[in-house]
Amino acid sequence: MENEAARMLAVIAVGWAVTFALRLVPFALFARGGHPAPKWAERFGDFASPAIIAALIVYSYSGLEWRTAWPYLAGVLTVAFQLWRRNPLLSILAGTVFYMSVLACGCTTERTIEFDVHHPVVTVAPEGVYFADRRVRPQDVPRILDDYGVPRSQTIHIRVDPRLRHSPEPNFLMACLAKNGYTRPILVSDRHAVSETIGPVPRQFETWSRDDTHDPPPSRGASRGKKR
Amino acid sequence: MREFAAIPAAERRRIRRAAFVASLPVLMGYVTMGFAAGVLMAVKGGLVHPAAWSALLAASTVSGTLSFAIVPLVADGASLAAVAALTLGINFRYAFYGFSMLGRWRGIPRLQKWFLVHSLADEIYALDLACRETDPLKHRLYCLWNHALNVSYWIVGTTSGAIAGAALPIPSKGIEFAMAALFIVILTDQVVDFAARAKERNSNGK
Repeated sequence: MENEAARMLAVIAVGWAVTFALRLVPFALFARGGHPAPKWAERFGDFASPAIIAALIVYSYSGLEWRTAWPYLAGVLTVAFQLWRRNPLLSILAGTVFYMSVLACGCTTERTIEFDVHHPVVTVAPEGVYFADRRVRPQDVPRILDDYGVPRSQTIHIRVDPRLRHSPEPNFLMACLAKNGYTRPILVSDRHAVSETIGPVPRQFETWSRDDTHDPPPSRGASRGKKR
Repeated sequence: MREFAAIPAAERRRIRRAAFVASLPVLMGYVTMGFAAGVLMAVKGGLVHPAAWSALLAASTVSGTLSFAIVPLVADGASLAAVAALTLGINFRYAFYGFSMLGRWRGIPRLQKWFLVHSLADEIYALDLACRETDPLKHRLYCLWNHALNVSYWIVGTTSGAIAGAALPIPSKGIEFAMAALFIVILTDQVVDFAARAKERNSNGK
């Protein structure tokens, strides 16, 4: 909590200092004389500020489901509303409501929500084999990877629960992958294999996670912050 | 503030009323946008006290765009340098607003000037520009009311949004798009304005 206070105070102080300094620029530059706004400044502002805003659009899209068409459709809708009614609030509302309803309908699949093509991770736990938050049969994994469009040359991380280190499951999965042309699976021993992938820790894991001194159970704030 | 006693009380009331009426559209916008920014901070910021921080952020920066854009940085624990860079990029346009206010705000008491400069955000600036008071003192009073009212709207909006976002199960999946939409709207307006001005210049040239 004190951490949060210190950090947020610092963040807000930086935000305020930079913003105030920017707003102060003209007043600091022309504190005395009766100069009007210099021509170059106006010209520069004409070009610089749309360029910056465009960069910010790209930046904000990186936090959206940018691999699907939906954020772009929502963007087009926003522009259309803005050109039509010139009411920023209405335009933002239209785009956001559209985008949120698309997500709520599940129109974007796990492929884009919980799954990154460049970092495919298959989890092998005592409860079964998990991929993209779903329990799957090991022999189905190559087909599912293919459905997701994972190239055959892609490195695939297989997170193995330490208790299964010497069991045949991981090897069977490797064999299934190899047979279907996925030649670059990597076995990763991961004690968090299950708890992170499936969410709530299953009952039989509770003692184990309590004894784990390296990672204390995350606080409410920390666990929410880690998402993304 | 004592210098405003020179304006008759009825006139002061009129100015206050005019500032309030002019700010009504911004009231709608700020409270709603502020609410969205507050909800975003509460559900995505990963903070224990989102309402307090949203209020402080709103009061200290008075920048809607920043209130949205800073959320991912807060959530990811980004460095202060990243915060400074983002703020610089987002609020760069504010460096040009003051030019139109140089003449009108010259020689006013330092504290008032700092407050006015501190809260020189997009809509507030637009309302300052639209003010038709010719008397410098009246103009200043109008500006002060305008800034104070709109800043309070923004604070109320973000704080209530953060409280609601933390307390209620507001469906928040995809609310990040509000930030992108805000930028898209700003860019659309800028492009439209720019095109209009270019057209004007061309027709003047002929």
